[in-house]
Amino acid sequence: MSNPLDWFGRREALLAVACLAAVLLFSFLSPYFFNAENLSAVLSNSVELLLVGLGMTLLLGVGGIDVSVGVAMGLAAIAVGRLLQAGVTPAVAGLAGPVAGLLIGVGTGSVVVFGRIPAIVATLGLYGVYRAGIYLCLGGDWLSGLPIGLTELVGTGIAGVPLAFPIVALTYLALYVALRRTPFGPHLLAIGDSEAKARLSGVSVNRTQLLAFIISGGLTGLAASFYVATYRNVEMTIGGTLALEAIAAVVLGGTSVIGGRVSLIGTVLGVLLLRLLQNGLLLSGVPSLWQTVVTGLLLLFVLGIEAVQGRLSLTMLMRSKSGRLASRVAQ
Amino acid sequence: MTELKSYTLAILASLWVVVVAGLAILQPSALDVSTVTTILQFSTILGLVSLGQGVVILCGGAGIDLSVGGIASLTSVVAMQAAEAGMPLPLLPVICIVVGAGLGTFNGLLVTRLGLLPLIATLGTFYVYSGAAVATTGGAVLSGVPSYFIVWGRGVVSGLPLPFLTLTLPLFLLTAILLRFTAWGRWIYALGFNERSARLVGIPVDRVRLIAYGASGAFAGSAALVGLAWLGSARPNIGQNLELTSLTAALLGGIGIMGGRGGVIGILAAVLLLVTLQTGLLQLNVNSIWQVGIIGALLIIVLLADNLRFIRRST
Repeated sequence: MSNPLDWFGRREALLAVACLAAVLLFSFLSPYFFNAENLSAVLSNSVELLLVGLGMTLLLGVGGIDVSVGVAMGLAAIAVGRLLQAGVTPAVAGLAGPVAGLLIGVGTGSVVVFGRIPAIVATLGLYGVYRAGIYLCLGGDWLSGLPIGLTELVGTGIAGVPLAFPIVALTYLALYVALRRTPFGPHLLAIGDSEAKARLSGVSVNRTQLLAFIISGGLTGLAASFYVATYRNVEMTIGGTLALEAIAAVVLGGTSVIGGRVSLIGTVLGVLLLRLLQNGLLLSGVPSLWQTVVTGLLLLFVLGIEAVQGRLSLTMLMRSKSGRLASRVAQ
Repeated sequence: MTELKSYTLAILASLWVVVVAGLAILQPSALDVSTVTTILQFSTILGLVSLGQGVVILCGGAGIDLSVGGIASLTSVVAMQAAEAGMPLPLLPVICIVVGAGLGTFNGLLVTRLGLLPLIATLGTFYVYSGAAVATTGGAVLSGVPSYFIVWGRGVVSGLPLPFLTLTLPLFLLTAILLRFTAWGRWIYALGFNERSARLVGIPVDRVRLIAYGASGAFAGSAALVGLAWLGSARPNIGQNLELTSLTAALLGGIGIMGGRGGVIGILAAVLLLVTLQTGLLQLNVNSIWQVGIIGALLIIVLLADNLRFIRRST
């Protein structure tokens, strides 16, 4: 944890082991789990959560949060769906998702940054506004039976590899470079660590925060395109639990909720672990109603372990330095 | 502080007048004693939960309780399951409050003992509580609430619903008095305002915060009791969306999100405003989705107005 950008720390190792353990366990529990078809289904089910989660990683890293990403994805999905219905070429309709997402990101970011409202409260309000926006756009109906063009485009992909794979890889790479090789990364972490200190050091706080919201919006819009391609419909309740799931996955991955530490690979592993557990439990005969309980327990368990470890190491630190500490307190 | 409070109350009151006037113009037949009864009936559960939410936020330390809805759902389910398992029915209120307080205290332990961030700790318990409520019942409604509770839950005295009169209103007044006139109340403001100095002057910060989370759970548990008595059955989704709505009510009511600022009477005013708005829209046959949008927009606008006021003053 010496370098907050360390790309593979203890938490990431723990998560990787947990993913492997889950695969082993479920292979024993269910004959349907360990085969190429099911595992690739797990991966393709992870795409939207992964994209949204990567955006959320930046937001939590900068000390923000966005609980409206699920409904934002819904709005972008409606844009994609309406264009498909209008007979636009699938590639253009697919691009409309990220564009709509970027615009929503600008809106959300502006309310938080320029309105100077705490991110959790502002995005909670926007959740309601966007939800009503979805209703306004859909008029209480579903978009269903959308043209299959986008689905074919995404499924065929490049040389037999589904389009999701290169897109997620490129996204990851771009974010990695942005965090490691440009001032954006250090600025993000500095703001997440202490907004006041970052401001005093000349970091453009507003611009960095707004940028994080815009990137997250774009990724959410990208997720919307994949959503439409996969399900070919947009329902009124779209994205209901997506934000909470994304936050859970990112926090599992070791990104600090109060900012100052981000882990992209941790987010990837966190998303993978969540989806593996959901799939494996279902195949092992656990009713899907228990999924949320398991998600919650997992979150509390991982963070609890870390907290207990942190407390232990803190106690040891206190013990070894107790003399010095005591004298400092006495002064 | 008092100026701030009266400012919030004035805004809420004028918004309320606008809503009622709008309703009077668009649907004059809706202005009637039975509407008042309906509004207060719906305010009972939201009021109780928002009260707990408000106290938790007041305590500062990024305090927030996302699990209130989950506590309400799980408590009502557990209470009815205990009744089916042979627990004497008159004990229903006791078990509701005890289970609620227990679940809330668990949140408090996660926050104070493990040092988890409240947002994340209660996000985790939100999943666990609300998931367990649905999973243990399979989503089915549990019936069998004894009739004497339903008499209380649906009772109306001169237009005022009994649960509101006997539970919500007294608890709000009690909390207001506790916050204003007792050491514990002043401690809550102190540690919300500046935790470091609160610690330095010897306030038992962790214990106060633990009790706040426990109280929030107990309030949610009593909301579950009202739900049982009013609906006559335990619904595993009784607490759905309560976390968002209660947060909105608390913040609209003037509780500062950073803690240490605001009062509970504002919360009650905000709850009444929100429920009046909802009831009005219902009377006008407006889809309930619009309520969510309007409440969200209202939350942002009120906070923006609040910020502008501070900016103007500081320049």
